[in-house]
Amino acid sequence: MIPPHSPAKIATRALLPLGAILAVFVVFTLLAAAQTGVLHAQTPEPASQEGVFTEDQARKIDRMLMCPVCPAQTIDQSQVQIALQMRVIVRDMLADGKAQDDVLEFFVDRYGNDILAFPPKSGFNLVAWLLPAGGVAAALVAVFFIIRSMTRRGPVPAAARPVQDPGLISYLQLVDRHLDMTRGGPRPVDTSNQPGPGVELPGTGAPAPEES
Amino acid sequence: MADLGAISLWIALALAAYSTVGSVAGKLRLSPALVESAQSAMYAAGLALLVATFSLVTAFINRDFEIAYVAAHSDLAMPNNLTWVAFYAGNEGSLLYISTVLAIISAIAIWRAPEKLKDALPYTTAVLMLTLTFFLAVMTVMANPFDKLPFVPLDGEGINPLLTHLGMFFHPPALMAGLIGITVPFAFATGALLAGKTGDEWVDAGRVWAILSWALLAGGLLLGSWWAYTILGWGGFWFWDPVEIAAFMPWLVLTAFIHSIMVQKRRGMFRMWNIILINVALGLALYGMFMNRGGSVPSVHSFGASALGWVFLLFLAIGVAVPFAIFIWRYPLLKSARELDSMLSREAAFLVNNLLLLAIAFVSLWGTVYPLLSRLFADEEITVARPFYDQVNGPLMLGLIFLMGIGPLVPWRKASLSSLRKSLLPPAVVGLATVGILFSLGLHKDYALIAFGLSAVVTAGILLEWYRGTRSRHRGTGENYAIAFLHLIWANRPRYGGYIVHLSIVMLALGIVGTSFFSTKLDIVLSPGDSVAVGDYDVVFLGSVETLMSNRTEFTSTLEVYQGGKFLETLETTRAFYPSFNMASTRAAIRSTPVEDLFIVPSENLADGSVGFRILVNPLIWWMWVAGPVMLVGTVVALWPQKIRAPAPAPSRPRFAPGSRPSAA
Repeated sequence: MIPPHSPAKIATRALLPLGAILAVFVVFTLLAAAQTGVLHAQTPEPASQEGVFTEDQARKIDRMLMCPVCPAQTIDQSQVQIALQMRVIVRDMLADGKAQDDVLEFFVDRYGNDILAFPPKSGFNLVAWLLPAGGVAAALVAVFFIIRSMTRRGPVPAAARPVQDPGLISYLQLVDRHLDMTRGGPRPVDTSNQPGPGVELPGTGAPAPEES
Repeated sequence: MADLGAISLWIALALAAYSTVGSVAGKLRLSPALVESAQSAMYAAGLALLVATFSLVTAFINRDFEIAYVAAHSDLAMPNNLTWVAFYAGNEGSLLYISTVLAIISAIAIWRAPEKLKDALPYTTAVLMLTLTFFLAVMTVMANPFDKLPFVPLDGEGINPLLTHLGMFFHPPALMAGLIGITVPFAFATGALLAGKTGDEWVDAGRVWAILSWALLAGGLLLGSWWAYTILGWGGFWFWDPVEIAAFMPWLVLTAFIHSIMVQKRRGMFRMWNIILINVALGLALYGMFMNRGGSVPSVHSFGASALGWVFLLFLAIGVAVPFAIFIWRYPLLKSARELDSMLSREAAFLVNNLLLLAIAFVSLWGTVYPLLSRLFADEEITVARPFYDQVNGPLMLGLIFLMGIGPLVPWRKASLSSLRKSLLPPAVVGLATVGILFSLGLHKDYALIAFGLSAVVTAGILLEWYRGTRSRHRGTGENYAIAFLHLIWANRPRYGGYIVHLSIVMLALGIVGTSFFSTKLDIVLSPGDSVAVGDYDVVFLGSVETLMSNRTEFTSTLEVYQGGKFLETLETTRAFYPSFNMASTRAAIRSTPVEDLFIVPSENLADGSVGFRILVNPLIWWMWVAGPVMLVGTVVALWPQKIRAPAPAPSRPRFAPGSRPSAA
């Protein structure tokens, strides 16, 4: 059986799964960041060697640039003339051995920051990226404390013992049914339907007192 | 017809207002007669709105161009079946549609409400009818669909050509119904709070109506994606457009709610949290309707930008502030009936699931608001589009799939490490094996590898559960496997319906990952007789035919598709130009297989008979469209009324629902 529920025990039990979830989350974020260069906004993507580039690289840039004349479309989506020309420029620049950041900068210089399909990762616009990250991290910590405070209160009832043999299930169901019968009702006493503290008693019809 | 409709609207407004005031007054002054009359007024308001709807439909069918709305959204050339689309093509009609839906679902919800909610029903009615009063007031005063023109035009302006698509018959009405439908679970929660019924009485009704809204939103979003894929001509289906997000956010929060309400239903916990979730969902739904109507963010959907937006903003502020005030007032009564037993439990997993869903909703909201902030504080125009959401929401969504894999395998209350290891090991092995196989096959995009691996974990976990349950039933009852499997699902519908929905989410993930990471695109001009190789297909352009129609010119191009020298099929794709709208609409030619779609759409018809084509190979997208029906089946199974509920484990000993794994009943 489980030893007494000392705070230290609970803390270690708590740390394990949350640590795991946190680790998974961090790994995902880092992977995403590494792939798209969130953390390395300053270090440019490796420049294409002597102008060798794949269509994948070019399309990735297409998807980062808005079409200047059409509402809410990137040059990858749009079929208008200027989007076509911009796609050609992207490929020409890559063929010249330019890196992704150079290409983006070229268009930002001409059209301003809103040619980018995302907020630039510098200056005031860093807020756009950091606030969600901070918010999610804070929420994770908050959930950790919520769960901990919820588990700490009150004694923990004995845990349900998992039954290893699936063949036993039908037998145990039978036992459950018989227990129900001896209790005089098809439904077991389900404590979740019993009034909690401060909740109106069934049948009285009067509102419960404000404080419990 | 115009007069009949206008009068019905005013009658409905009066009835809804009376019903709001009457229910509250009747409840406070303990007058059952007044409460009853207020309830009857609600049913009558529904009838009046049906009459108004009927009037507008009739006006459309008669092409009664004296009515400004009919003249603006139809013409003589429009086939009658498009009336349904024209009905909500503008602000006025969509408001009428929303009001009618709200009135009808309110009536059904109150009529079918369980007996235990009787004390709270007057408040629930009041919340529903207050919302209806708002919509009707806005409609009659600011956007009346029955307003008349000073003259009768000979022909109307016609329907927007982009709307003449099968998907449009369902996508906007499903989304609008889903958004307004959130009012019902919200009204049950708020009604219970106001009446001091702070226990779990509202949970069943709230859950059922929340799932209905959830399914409508999911279906609407999927159909909208399908519409965009087949008609917008860029080969994608989702662009994180502000209006798409507006419907996506309430869906996310409802998803969180549907999960955490199960914890309250079974364990009497998370009572405060569920109230918060449904309040947030309503706030986001109102925000979504605000964005649809003159929101502040540029969008391809910008339909009906008008002063109406500010009225909606005001209503949004009230709809967020008041429910939270009520929540804070009733806070002392919202204690959980139980404590959380362990960090390693289904309850805890649901909390983390809620966190991730809310995080995605929050990031999306932030993305739609940020351009405004940067305009205000940095005086700079900034676009927040797909790359931002992909980078920030992508990892969160992967986390969610991860949780979807392990959550259902963690038992309620408390898991022992050994049992957890036993149930999690097989799916984990399958996931790792999938990653290994894909990697050795030459798939090296780490993001996609993780997504496929996690999808395999979820699928393996679910299938294993089904297999174990079926086997134990087969052994216990002697039924053959097929029958045992059906009985298994039928015995615990909320749970197994949930599993089916989870599978559909995996299918969605396959489609999204496939197209996001592995699609091939080619923009090319072809003359008749030219051929081009895309992926492992060879496409031959045969020629293009021009047809003059009453309201458009259609160019139909014919292409032949070969693979490895073998003829596969002939495809036709159309591009139509509507001079009165100065707008082109396309119908893509799609050869769809579970492996990949070959997608061909004409972007330009040149004078010399050559055609500019966009040709795409989109792997796995087939699974996205299959996900919809699967999700529907899962929802129906989960919602099917269940007389005997699988009881929650009693505190002193475990109970066993048929077929489910022991401690996870």
